[in-house]
Amino acid sequence: MQIGVVDYGASNIFSVLRAVSHLGAKAKVISKQEDLKSIDKIILPGQGSMGACIENLKKKNLFESLKLSFAEKPYLGICLGLQILFALSEESSNSEGMNIFSGKVERFKENKNFKIPHMGWNQVTFKKKHFVNRNIPNSSNFYFVHSYASKELKKDNILAETTHGELFNSAVIQDNIIGVQFHPEKSGTQGLKFLENFINWKI
Amino acid sequence: MALTVRIIPCLDVRGGRVVKGINFKNIIDAGDPAEVAKRYDAEGADEICMLDIDASYQERSTTLTTVEAIANQVFIPFTVGGGIKKLQDIEVLLKSGADKVSINTSAILEPNLIQEASKEFGSQCIVVAIDAKKDGDAWSVYTHGGKNKTELNAIEWAKKVEGLGAGEILMTSMDKDGTKTGYDNDLNKKLNSYLRIPLIASGGAGQLSHLVDAIKIGNADAVLAASIFHYEEISIARVKEELMKNNISVRSNI
Repeated sequence: MQIGVVDYGASNIFSVLRAVSHLGAKAKVISKQEDLKSIDKIILPGQGSMGACIENLKKKNLFESLKLSFAEKPYLGICLGLQILFALSEESSNSEGMNIFSGKVERFKENKNFKIPHMGWNQVTFKKKHFVNRNIPNSSNFYFVHSYASKELKKDNILAETTHGELFNSAVIQDNIIGVQFHPEKSGTQGLKFLENFINWKI
Repeated sequence: MALTVRIIPCLDVRGGRVVKGINFKNIIDAGDPAEVAKRYDAEGADEICMLDIDASYQERSTTLTTVEAIANQVFIPFTVGGGIKKLQDIEVLLKSGADKVSINTSAILEPNLIQEASKEFGSQCIVVAIDAKKDGDAWSVYTHGGKNKTELNAIEWAKKVEGLGAGEILMTSMDKDGTKTGYDNDLNKKLNSYLRIPLIASGGAGQLSHLVDAIKIGNADAVLAASIFHYEEISIARVKEELMKNNISVRSNI
């Protein structure tokens, strides 16, 4: 089992690589199109803005090839890796995402009781039973750092929900494609379990 | 439910060992950093902070080895501070396994660093640490591990670095640090009424009620402590139990 971790040049992929290796799986850095061939699953950890991420992926010829790989390989998008699955983001109005989900990601509403970015540990309520959340107590805490989130989505695509002043989709799913707004690689034991489940998941 | 309050044990590291001093003086040994970090993780720490207390004066390679050793064993957010002077220092630390860096003296000497660093690496990984001491009705900022007094007012400075792109403020009260008499809740409460980014309270934890007060009175988003955890005076699990008793939400199911 070889896990490809996408490096588009502007995100910290090291903690994901460490976590994958810690779990005994082989991790390979994906920084160009050819790298995608030999791997079984894809993880895309991202930070920064959606526009910059898409632009970088396009520069590396990874945008289209990743989209093609969605037809066959399990994908786990972390943080920005979830957001790029959407058609649009309020943060980068000029760029178009992967369009797996037709909606958009939006900024949290200003609210003096809830700081932005949403940073820290918050409860993740899984709405579906799935291999990736196997053996994880529902409503466990996971670690988040983000200012934008998916708020509206078809019920079938919502894997988990979380509240920070308002309800948002903390995990989304479409067949073999999963996106999580939290950082499983930084969420202690439960986070490692989630990653381990993704590694062992057979589609 | 909402965000839980974060409990952050801090490892003051010098020459590859955890140390603890009182009021930044009288340093004593408190163990191997990776071992200590692993114990904290198992006890339910929500984040690990490591401050390289002599880094401004010494070699960096020991620091990087320590950072890597901790990052290989602990899968919760990990902040490293001490001796960061330029963008490249941050890049090297992130590559070695830090998730966030905390900048103190250099932020004051070169405020542009905060702006550049948050642009380059994202605000989420830039923590600005402030060492403050009460001075009449206000608090003054000190640099170089508390050695040099500046003209800066701590609250004004925190507001300024927030504007420059800092993602969090780590506020250490020099009056309280190492005294075990509780956090400076006056300072934190006042500061938090101006801040939009998370505030980590530091300096003064000696008993359970101090951590509760730092949240209930000081309004801190996270509490940092070193010595009470190093010497196993109070376990992190015990702190969380006490916070829950006081209706403060904490991370369970660790």
